[in-house]
Amino acid sequence: MTAIDNRSSVECAGRTITRQEVEDFLYAEADLLDHWNYDGWLALFESGARYEIPTTDYRPGWSPHETGSFVDDDWPLLLARVKRLKSRKAHAENPHSRTHRLVSNVRLSAHTASVNSTNGTEHAESTEDCFRVAASFVVHRARDGRFDAYVGWYEHLLVPTEDGLRFRLRRSVLGHESLAAGARLSFIL
Amino acid sequence: MGSNPRTAPAPMIVEDWDQLTFRVNREAYRSAEVFARERGWVWMHTWLYLGHETEIPNPNDFKARTLGGRPLIFCRDTAGEVHAFLNSCPHRGTVLCRENEGSTRLFQCFYHAWTFRNNGEVAAIPDAGAYESTDEFRASMGLRSVPRLEIHEGFVFISFDPDVPPLLEHLGDAADYMSMIEQQHVGGMTTLPGTQLYGVRGNWKLAVENAMDGYHFAPTHNTFVGYLRESGYAVTDDNQYAYNLGNGHGLLVLTGHGGRISMIWEPRFGEDERIRTDAHRAEMTQRLGEQRAHHVADESHILFVFPNLLLFDIEGLSIRQLEPVAPDQTDVRAWQLVPRNEDPETRALRMKTVVSFVGPGGLATPDDIEAYEAVQRGIQATAGSGLPELDFSDMSRGMADEVKGVQGRSIDEGAMRGFWRHWVDAIGLDDGIEVNGERPASFLSGRDVR
Ligand code: FES
Ligand SMILES: [Fe+2]
Repeated sequence: MTAIDNRSSVECAGRTITRQEVEDFLYAEADLLDHWNYDGWLALFESGARYEIPTTDYRPGWSPHETGSFVDDDWPLLLARVKRLKSRKAHAENPHSRTHRLVSNVRLSAHTASVNSTNGTEHAESTEDCFRVAASFVVHRARDGRFDAYVGWYEHLLVPTEDGLRFRLRRSVLGHESLAAGARLSFIL
Repeated sequence: MGSNPRTAPAPMIVEDWDQLTFRVNREAYRSAEVFARERGWVWMHTWLYLGHETEIPNPNDFKARTLGGRPLIFCRDTAGEVHAFLNSCPHRGTVLCRENEGSTRLFQCFYHAWTFRNNGEVAAIPDAGAYESTDEFRASMGLRSVPRLEIHEGFVFISFDPDVPPLLEHLGDAADYMSMIEQQHVGGMTTLPGTQLYGVRGNWKLAVENAMDGYHFAPTHNTFVGYLRESGYAVTDDNQYAYNLGNGHGLLVLTGHGGRISMIWEPRFGEDERIRTDAHRAEMTQRLGEQRAHHVADESHILFVFPNLLLFDIEGLSIRQLEPVAPDQTDVRAWQLVPRNEDPETRALRMKTVVSFVGPGGLATPDDIEAYEAVQRGIQATAGSGLPELDFSDMSRGMADEVKGVQGRSIDEGAMRGFWRHWVDAIGLDDGIEVNGERPASFLSGRDVR
């Protein structure tokens, strides 16, 4: 494992993607979510993408397909989630929470998948059409006269397309030991 | 808290068979005094759900857990025996184990370095010669075990009261529904890592009521019902029943929105899962016989085991534990219970399906939490208003059928009434319940016990 991967750009799908481009993408995403523009937000995903939030006891390497989690949305579930949130009958978010997001510590790296070769050894294989983004977030949320903060890391997979970057996987990993009283994940984290 | 000093404290429950009403005093959700009684009477003198044996599968495994506000160590010793110790050093009281989980043969207190084996015996006391009659002293200084620990089908219960009746006596009719869970799959069930830990701003009893309340399903979960309909599943409230199992335990039997992975197929689970579900159902008939297999497989259950365990046998199978923190605050812990032997596709589908509904990030549970947090805020409206008769919540739904001896539906409130009658007994309040009129013969013959 490299000590610190803090590059200013990454090569992917024959293109050079800069950290600034990724930061602009994440800032725009935060703005869409804070303004409850869920159609605009969904347009940032490629079809078939996933949205995940592991539990607070998550350890790197765990798969949500083999452990409990908070959110494990495949594409149909993500569509259902957005449809629900846009409805007035999503009672947990009616009235909507007021959120304010800070995104920082953005780092890029090539996406490598661990592959078992026929001789049984594992090797890292770079998948060329997407790359990894790590970033920190703080989401402040006001609702019911209360104010909560959610702190954690993003572990995203992004795809460069002709129309700009798109999510293939959007994963929010919480830094909390547990969700504090009242701090449920009824909005997009 | 909120009570009017000019009026005598009203009873906690008013049950009226002339008016067919059952009303619960809202002080039950707000009062610090009631909360203290629950800690001192209910949590100290009944069986409490601690955890599942499969959370500590190997010798030396441990989990730290809090019940009734008391820090505990739930562990398996080197010889394989399951223990629950007070997580507090016998020397001066320091929390002994400050990790949430792990594996260890020895627990060492960091303060003065006393060390204990995971069966509770003292392993070392530094400079032990400074104590007189060291051997006896040492023997008296082992870890404090909780007075009682018993296991039913892998579910580990403890009691802080050495004189509680045996666990199976307490579980009564609930015990067999726990056995049905263990029998769902050849090879039994196991818990998985990935625990949902979250707090809610509501009294713990509101979480119990919500689980025993089919009436809220359609309006509260409107968006989830819409999702089920779009995926090709017709949702109905027909032929769904609620049962008071006695001792405060309750059961909802659900068939109208009962889809669960590997048990009851719905279109959203896909064709491959339909084939697997059919094969599993046939295997169950072979293994358990038609009658038992029918009970185990063809209906979904929500089982409440008084006072802190909920088993949601819907979507998949979630264990939920309630830990009251304050009158208006509850910690919730939820584990997924899965078949030990399950192919990866089914497991992945199960995990996705369970959390799509259950938990603070699902498409349904957040609305439940919203509902009981809103109750907690709303019941301030009638607190200490000088009109104590307004300061009650109504749980009469289904009593008209109850006098006729008709089985209560899941959309009635009969399971809640069973819970509240037991609760008022368990907190040891004189005059906690006022009964007006005659309880009907059907009630006294235990009509609502399955
Ligand atoms: S308090 Fe634990 S060794 Fe002194
Ligand atoms: Fe609900």
